[in-house]
Amino acid sequence: MNIPKQPLNQRIFKYSLTSLIVISAIWSASGLEITLDRILNAPAQIATLVGAMFPLDLSSEAFDRIIPKVFESLFIAWAGTVIGAIFSFPISFLAANNITIGSVNRVIKQILNGIRAFPELILAFVFLPITGLGPLTGTLAVGIHSIGTLGKLSSEVIEGIDEGPLESIKASGGSKINELTFGVIPQVMPTITSYWLYRFEINLRASAVLGVVGAGGVGQELINQLRFRDFPRAGTVLICTIVLVLTADTISAAIRNRIIKGKTVKS
Amino acid sequence: MINYPKKPSPSLLVLIGIPAGILFSIFSFLQIGFNFQDFKNNLSNRYLVTDPLFDPKWAWAWENSSDALVETIQIAILASIIGCAVALPLSFYASRATNLNKYSYFVYKSFLNLVRTIPDLFWAMIFTVAVGIGPFAGVLALLMFSLAIMGKLLSETIDSIDPGPMEAAKATGASHNQSVFTSALPQVLPNFTAYFLYIFELCIRASVILGLVGAGGVGRIIETQRIFLRFDRISPIIVLILVVVILIEQFSVWLRRKIL
Repeated sequence: MNIPKQPLNQRIFKYSLTSLIVISAIWSASGLEITLDRILNAPAQIATLVGAMFPLDLSSEAFDRIIPKVFESLFIAWAGTVIGAIFSFPISFLAANNITIGSVNRVIKQILNGIRAFPELILAFVFLPITGLGPLTGTLAVGIHSIGTLGKLSSEVIEGIDEGPLESIKASGGSKINELTFGVIPQVMPTITSYWLYRFEINLRASAVLGVVGAGGVGQELINQLRFRDFPRAGTVLICTIVLVLTADTISAAIRNRIIKGKTVKS
Repeated sequence: MINYPKKPSPSLLVLIGIPAGILFSIFSFLQIGFNFQDFKNNLSNRYLVTDPLFDPKWAWAWENSSDALVETIQIAILASIIGCAVALPLSFYASRATNLNKYSYFVYKSFLNLVRTIPDLFWAMIFTVAVGIGPFAGVLALLMFSLAIMGKLLSETIDSIDPGPMEAAKATGASHNQSVFTSALPQVLPNFTAYFLYIFELCIRASVILGLVGAGGVGRIIETQRIFLRFDRISPIIVLILVVVILIEQFSVWLRRKIL
């Protein structure tokens, strides 16, 4: 049978990519001194740790400590998302190339890229000496990082709109402001709202972690319990975090689904 | 008189959702305990941070952090490769299109969801306790991180593949596994490569902070200097990281364009 072969340059590209991946994996493994011995021991070690977490510490004293911290993470994530949404919304119009005049959008986009480049944790420990230990620092860190990411996503949504409605508003004598409020915002709002909720899901994970540097939230509790070798309580912290994240994810995904679906039914 | 069409009344979701969202936002801000007086007091010692932050010690950073930076990249490379390789078969089991057994589909899907709920740094904390402090724990943590993301992205891609080729393979007498291997896999391989590059970028970013809990990489250097508030040593390291991250992202964007 005559099976056609892939063209030569494609095959060369494929093989060189594969060898690049293999070589970089070997280089990394040898550089990190990961021996076969350690890999083989790891599953048993992990199983021992997980085994030490059970039975979980279900005393009311443990819950009195953990539950407020879990909710603190939730509040940090939500407040951070609100900050991100409020500030990124106007900025995203300036960053969209079909709304702004001149090269304003390029400057704003670079600023957003710059903000996005710093992970929340790094922002958090830079703010820490200024805003103090506590959830405020975490909120600021999450909020500022969200401005960067939401600004980028929202501006891309605005750039992808249908220009027709804008033209018809202009043709019927509408001002630039009318174009925005009646032409752009109704088109982009469902997608942007679902991005806000999506960002909230990501921020929830980020805010859970922020406690590691003392910026509030459940991370502080986990690292303390692990340091004191109180594994049953660490297990409880983990389970509480998982329950919170799963619940928030499910609710947020359901709302996002409803927003996007509602759009397709109406149109 | 023009006959305007009536505006549809807002749905229940909007009527309840928006006030509830606003109330919850106000409640959250109250819970965070924003106190303007404290904020003003604290703002007066901002020079503690800002002065050293803009007085970077380049020579020190270059001398002390370049090894750790290489370690960070190695952690990200190894973790993203292994994580994605493990996720490839798993996602076929976690998709309704390729897994006909309802129960095992549910088990794999829930497993991936469960892995995804635990944040990357939590994995790092768990693994540093389990296998000891060092880059190996970091690799394991990012492995779980990339496994979770790839599992979600790829299984959803498999859900939406064109069923035609699989049916055609079955019509020629292929078993279910053969039809998955010859018809479903080639359909998603380009997506898999694109997701892999995307996850590699995420891993590079995530690996920077692993060191804060002792899981290796450049975060280790940042953590030790952070405790002593040596922001003059931290800021050049952050700039170095940014440069490396941007270079790697550019490379990955170039490669993705070449593949797709």
